[in-house]
Amino acid sequence: MKNRLKVLRAEQNWTQEDLAGRVGASRQTINSIETGKYDPSLPLAFKLARLFGRPIEEIFEADRDGTPQGGNEQ
Amino acid sequence: MKTSETFFDDRREMILFVGTASVFVLAYFVARALLESFVMETWVRVVVVLVPIVPFTLFLLTLIRGIRQMDELERRIQLEALAVAFPLTFLLLMTLGLLELAIKLKPEDWSYRHLSPFLIIFYIIGLVVAKRRYQ
Repeated sequence: MKNRLKVLRAEQNWTQEDLAGRVGASRQTINSIETGKYDPSLPLAFKLARLFGRPIEEIFEADRDGTPQGGNEQ
Repeated sequence: MKTSETFFDDRREMILFVGTASVFVLAYFVARALLESFVMETWVRVVVVLVPIVPFTLFLLTLIRGIRQMDELERRIQLEALAVAFPLTFLLLMTLGLLELAIKLKPEDWSYRHLSPFLIIFYIIGLVVAKRRYQ
């Protein structure tokens, strides 16, 4: 699953640690999401969406067939 | 839930974690030394065997609290570490069981107390594999 987290975070001039603190996650989690190695849970995705004031689908984008790509695919 | 730092980066949590684990290991070796060095009544020997359970319970409570403070990725990493460690432990036990049928194993060479280092090694292997996956 692709995401725009890094871009949105940079727009706010936040470090990964800043963002992690705002959503109650670890810096490692934010880093893994940004690098596409981990797909967040729905509650965390909603928290991120609320924080940036955008719908989830503007931040996270599934592949054409709807399956995640890379990261923690099943 | 912890924010912006992992459970293992939190100094206070790590002191508690390592501290309770150290007390348990110390209690274990003291109990072992007592059992190997002194002749005692059977009930006293059993009490000595059970004493390390107390510090281990404290260690376990610290561990459970730590896991509850972890965020979703940290918990996932722990789960994957255990998912590697458990089958390896199972394999070790099965192999030892078969080996016991094949050859005579001496208790001083192989017994339950020799297994614990392997369990820790298996967990660490699982942890390294899981952490690398998400780095």
